[in-house]
Amino acid sequence: MTEPLLQHLTPDELELWAQGLLPAARDIHLAQCGECRVLGDRERKLFRDLARLPRLAPEFGFVERVMAKVKVPAPADEFEGR
Amino acid sequence: MRAATSNAGDGVIGAKDRPGNLTGASDPEVVQWAQHGHEPAFRELVRRYERPVFSLLYRMVRDRALAEDLAQETFIKVLNGIKSYNPQFKFSSWIFKIANNAAIDHLRRRDLDTLSLDGSPHATTPEEMSATALQLGDRGESPLQEVEARELGSAIERAIAKLRPEYRACILLRHVEGHSYEEIARILDLPLGTVKTYIHRGRNELRVHLVDRKE
Repeated sequence: MTEPLLQHLTPDELELWAQGLLPAARDIHLAQCGECRVLGDRERKLFRDLARLPRLAPEFGFVERVMAKVKVPAPADEFEGR
Repeated sequence: MRAATSNAGDGVIGAKDRPGNLTGASDPEVVQWAQHGHEPAFRELVRRYERPVFSLLYRMVRDRALAEDLAQETFIKVLNGIKSYNPQFKFSSWIFKIANNAAIDHLRRRDLDTLSLDGSPHATTPEEMSATALQLGDRGESPLQEVEARELGSAIERAIAKLRPEYRACILLRHVEGHSYEEIARILDLPLGTVKTYIHRGRNELRVHLVDRKE
């Protein structure tokens, strides 16, 4: 069986590393393995690009357009009609 | 603010619990108010989720007007069915599940999964790619198309557009909306292993598309 220190990071571990969540024991491998560092850096860059995608907004008045078509039930007696 | 808490654990909201400031309430609290017919709670749910839901749908179908129609359809379904919401699941998972189903249904109906700025992913020749490509930036482009080109025209947006819809949904839910793998599996009704596979493959394809664009 391969020594854990020598094992390359799995895709799940690369994702953990990109998020700063890789256990320290596996970090040691990364510090020594250029191949994993290249893969990890690539993963981290992609994560950063995706996380920077903006939230896009519908046209102004969206809430009103939705509410015009929603049937709001009659308020419950518990907090109405007091 | 007063939270929409139950009285003595019986699950009933009382008059003294009327919400003062919904903005600071948690999703389960706002949902509970909506279930009791509190109209501002409905508005608050739309306000909270209009951008995330619209963004997901817009990136899935890449058509602003259509994404807005699907977003409206999603909210109407969610709000009209608010009493059937199962609080065991996160509200965000429920609403994204309905939104994603709306997008996938539409893509299947209209076969829009072949639509991309660079042409159909099924095209095998440059001529086929050109024939199926969206020509944003051409003369005669409508103002709406110009907006779409600006909003979805970056390299990463174009790479996302090339993914299969299933991969696209997984990538957006994971990396833009920040859902866990388990939540994505629930939202998409897929086994956890399939979600992991889709995300790994999706990321690999994104990297390939992004490298291709640089070269």
